[in-house]
Amino acid sequence: MARIGVDVGGTNTDLVLETGAGVFYHKVPTTLKNQSIGVVEGVRRICEMAGIGTSEVETIVHGTTTATNITIEHNGSECGMITSKGFRDILHIGRHKRPHNFSLHFDVPWQSQPLVKRRNRIAVTERIVPPTGEIETALDEQAVRDACALFRKRGIDSVVIGFMFAFLNDAHERRAREIVLEEMPGAYVTLSSEVANVMREYERFSTAAMNSYVGPKTAFYLRDLEARLRDAGVGSKLRIIQSNGGVSTVDACAKRPVRILMSGPAGGVIGGAAEGEMAGTGNVITVDIGGTSADISTIPDNQIKIMNPRDTYVSGHPVLTPMIDLVTIGAGGGSIAYIDEAGGFNVGPRSAGSEPGPACYGRGGTEPTVTDAQIVLGRLDPDMALGGDLELDAELARKAVEEKIAKPLGLSVTDAALGIIKIINNNMALAIRSNSVARGVDPRQFSIMPFGGAGPLHGVALAEAVSAKDVLVPVAPGITAAVGLLKTDLQYEHTEAVVIELNASGEAEHARINAAVETLKGCVADELAADGIAAADQCIEVVAECRYHGQGFELRATMPDGPVTADNVKSITDSFHDQHQMDYGYSYRDAEVELITLRAIGSASSRKIEIPRVQKTDGSSIDRALMFVRTTTFDNGQTLETPRYDRMKLYCGDIVPGPAILIQHNSTTLVPPGYVAETLDYGNTRVRLAGDGQ
Amino acid sequence: MNVMTETRAEVDPITLQVIRGSFETIAEEMGHVLYRMSFSSIIRESQDLGAGLFDTAYNTLCESESTPMHIGSIPGYLRGIEETLEDGEWYEGDVVVHNHPYHGASHTPDLAIVVPVFYQGRLVGFAGNTAHHVDIGAATPGLIIDVPDVFAEGMLLAGVKLCRKGEPNTAIWNFIRNNSRAAQQLVSDIEAQVASARLGAKRFVELIEKYGEEMVFGAANQLMAYSERMTRQRISEIPDGEYEAEGWLDDDGRNRDRQLKVKVTVRVAGDEVEVDLTGSADQTPTAYNVPFEGSTKVAAYAAFRKLLLDAATSDMRVPSNEGSFRPIKVTAPLGSIFNPKFPASAEARFTQCNRMIDLIIRALAPVMPDTVIAGSSASISFAAYSGVRPSGDYWVFLEVNEGAYGGRPRSDGPDSIDNLMANTRNNPLEDLAMHIPMICDRYELRDDMPPGAGEYRGGIGVVKSQRVLTPAFITHESERHSEAPWGIFGGHEGAVGRCLVYNADSPDDVTEMHSKFSGLEVKAGDVMAYYSPNGGGFGDPLKRPEMKVLEDVLDGFCSVDHARSAYGVVVDLDSETVDMGATNALRERMRSAAD
Repeated sequence: MARIGVDVGGTNTDLVLETGAGVFYHKVPTTLKNQSIGVVEGVRRICEMAGIGTSEVETIVHGTTTATNITIEHNGSECGMITSKGFRDILHIGRHKRPHNFSLHFDVPWQSQPLVKRRNRIAVTERIVPPTGEIETALDEQAVRDACALFRKRGIDSVVIGFMFAFLNDAHERRAREIVLEEMPGAYVTLSSEVANVMREYERFSTAAMNSYVGPKTAFYLRDLEARLRDAGVGSKLRIIQSNGGVSTVDACAKRPVRILMSGPAGGVIGGAAEGEMAGTGNVITVDIGGTSADISTIPDNQIKIMNPRDTYVSGHPVLTPMIDLVTIGAGGGSIAYIDEAGGFNVGPRSAGSEPGPACYGRGGTEPTVTDAQIVLGRLDPDMALGGDLELDAELARKAVEEKIAKPLGLSVTDAALGIIKIINNNMALAIRSNSVARGVDPRQFSIMPFGGAGPLHGVALAEAVSAKDVLVPVAPGITAAVGLLKTDLQYEHTEAVVIELNASGEAEHARINAAVETLKGCVADELAADGIAAADQCIEVVAECRYHGQGFELRATMPDGPVTADNVKSITDSFHDQHQMDYGYSYRDAEVELITLRAIGSASSRKIEIPRVQKTDGSSIDRALMFVRTTTFDNGQTLETPRYDRMKLYCGDIVPGPAILIQHNSTTLVPPGYVAETLDYGNTRVRLAGDGQ
Repeated sequence: MNVMTETRAEVDPITLQVIRGSFETIAEEMGHVLYRMSFSSIIRESQDLGAGLFDTAYNTLCESESTPMHIGSIPGYLRGIEETLEDGEWYEGDVVVHNHPYHGASHTPDLAIVVPVFYQGRLVGFAGNTAHHVDIGAATPGLIIDVPDVFAEGMLLAGVKLCRKGEPNTAIWNFIRNNSRAAQQLVSDIEAQVASARLGAKRFVELIEKYGEEMVFGAANQLMAYSERMTRQRISEIPDGEYEAEGWLDDDGRNRDRQLKVKVTVRVAGDEVEVDLTGSADQTPTAYNVPFEGSTKVAAYAAFRKLLLDAATSDMRVPSNEGSFRPIKVTAPLGSIFNPKFPASAEARFTQCNRMIDLIIRALAPVMPDTVIAGSSASISFAAYSGVRPSGDYWVFLEVNEGAYGGRPRSDGPDSIDNLMANTRNNPLEDLAMHIPMICDRYELRDDMPPGAGEYRGGIGVVKSQRVLTPAFITHESERHSEAPWGIFGGHEGAVGRCLVYNADSPDDVTEMHSKFSGLEVKAGDVMAYYSPNGGGFGDPLKRPEMKVLEDVLDGFCSVDHARSAYGVVVDLDSETVDMGATNALRERMRSAAD
């Protein structure tokens, strides 16, 4: 039986296959129009490589940017929305803050690219009132039917239902759905109280609208992929990785595509966390460097962090779904270096992409990129890219750096190239800092884990810049995200708004909390059961999202094991004070703590990929892996004769002293002078200062 | 205008970028901690705050991208603190609070917290922030307009040490606690400010430890020179000359029959520019005046940063520092509305600033036709709702309502969004209604008046109706009930703002309110409905593509009648199409009538 992980990126579709016979890696070009073509092609090829039939594949885990791309390309469904009278424009007004402080010509994405056009937002009479959720005015059912008639006339079949205060009482939203489905059988319907049952109308409506906007197309993609795989003889289960890092089924994702908007980068973070475990290192900061951007995530103690729901935006729209805590910055191999008109030296965020690509690609690009700088410095061998599959032109790289940077600044070409690398590394270091130090994480206790093909060229410099402990290079840096897909568990989350002042709470409030907890646990248990997970294999955790009374941002507090009682309610508030202290460096121990949202997280573990160990060193010289020696320039300006080693021929326990470069098909690792690279159990590598013991 | 501290070693371009990035990260971190921690919605949701690092000559080294009115205001506070500092000197571990409008503050509710930064026992700079507080014990809860003088604004704090050498000054904390209607929020939010400032100071020292004093301040000076160079370059692209525009403000909040003139003269000479406000109204007897250092100058600088260094259209991000202010001179005669004399009150100053920016843009229209935009709402709606709970405690809620932009040379004016100097976030209506005795009845785009027609139309203002559930007080600071935002290059003018008060049980019995009113007593069920001005149009409406007009009609941004009368476009609403024959004929007739 075999399992396959498929990660679809902007340029390549990466695959990993695991069978009893071993682990296989493969890359095929991404088919941008319909990702499923490339996925099926890749699955076929990797099965051939492994010498197995497609029918032997048991599970495919898939990371996809399909839903995200719909939001970037603005080609989602034409949606209709039914909302409360008086509040037709919540989606148009948003939080009324401009994207820029100093601009007259700014774009407002939620107005210029609305998820639901105003003409299709129909306000109907109904009113639910706080704080109890009592119905003050009944739903005008005829108005709902009239709205449906308009939607039918306009050919709309995706409908959002969002009413004010629905988080207190969802009766009107549920009734409206019944009517919509009577009037428009087969319509794709999203209720705000189902996708994000929390307070704050704009964010809740936006989440629901996003679901309906990407829903029909994403559902089509997933079902189409399933069918194509079946046609190719693959009868396996297809699982999709969600933004929170858990996997889910095609059915569940087709219903709630809003949960897979960050499916793309999630695999990398999980792959990084797994590599940390393999190396016996709990604290890692993953840096997944692609062509145009880098995704950075801090993983303390092997625990992947989830973002505060107040920070989760997709293409300018708030989307309240759990997402892995990562920052993305415009820094990658294709980032362009330029001198601005006032003489400032900048690198990125503009990228040469894959067309024309870096100057060294010889596809007409004349602006120097980070990749060009690496070539100038002799860190990337132009004849070795992708094992020689991709030929690069060193002279074009040199010319671009010389003309666009070196001459205007009066620097040597080498110094200009070093500058490009230094600035891009600094940009990444600052992003690492914002995702670590800025949140009270001490990088000195963390290892930098660079991946993506070019990632390990930057590892040591980043570790130095943020004072990280050392660098861990994964087994297959170019394909770490795909491997991560085979390291995931099933995971579902549900929320309920329960607004209660905890310090002053009594029996009635505790009963409300306990009832909500039971309901939420039931919801996640049902979803897991629907995936065939027996009750005994389900793991369900509940967290309390709290804030000080009067604050606007919640933090997560731990719930007691059993029901909440007068005796243990203080454990929730204490946990909240501690979290506040940790996140902001300050806490208000005497202030009233208010519970806002309860969240149940249900998971079930699945079997993890097993990466084979490499041979232990037999004491033979590492010369067995030596390929050739060329000059390379390092960050301190030294140009040294630098040996290249075939990373696949290194044994566990081998120590390669810097300066050195480790080459493998999908990646290149830079070991500067003064550092050593130690090969670990699985062919993974730790790069550390020479003389630093373990 | 500030001088550079002292010339230091030249920093190489690479280290310069590295230090710049560190500065920016520190400022953002300071702002982040402040708004995430704070309790009052005006700070945590509206993010009405600023934070940054400063050198000992009070140059801004970096500043958080929070709201524009705070950006560039802190140096004024620092100079004011120097004049008034308790003990006359700084000690390590000091924390100072300051809000005196005649000692550099932006206005009294914006308290600054400043922490001195010491390195190896020497003062090397400051970390500070400003934030708008809900209530500092002024004459009326929250906001004030119709008051006699600055002493009615509440607590005036000048160079006061909240902590001396690390020891809290409990007397002043107690004083503050006993002089606010929202003491708990005020004190907790000051604590959040202190946490943010201390964090900034810590990061500042870490930066110096890493790169050395020479390098860090050398880089700071070079970054200022860089911003200055960019600004001068852009100014020199404007033809030299004197450009004027004027407009009228509704009234001062007390004397209803007296409009107030705002006159702006922009003098461009080479790579420098002067904004001269001579000819504007005299200072008013109410709080409707603008502190010169902390607000007038800040707003004028912001106007040019928007015009010359537009963050959305420019590839380059210019560092947020003093350099971009240096080529800009601001003049306002002492005793005028933009430079009042002590002891005039000067708390309600926002709408004048916004109108000044609007007029600077208008003045430059003849020479910057591709950059300027048509008239914006250029107002604000700043509402203070308050009441007394059964417990006897006050509740106070400050709300900033949005405006709309004028049409632009390449796009329509954005609708219902914070305008020009304002850039806050609204309060979630559900959150509000769960916590205070108010509920919102309507929050939508205005549909009573169209925005200014144009090839690019003006933005549509908001209508927001807030109902109080218990007896309450309302103070409202707003503008532009009498002079609509102008259209430009053939665009039509927008629409004036309105404010109505009525009881929910008798919605037809409406009182039309002045744009500013103070301490209005309202009863349970009373509603204040605010309509913000609609922006003016840019360019000839007859040039607007028919399909765009159709889209506007379908979206309800424009009525069928308005499409016909203003745009000459005949829309069939049933078939959702344009009658092209009728439209061509009508547009032809309208064009010849105009010739």
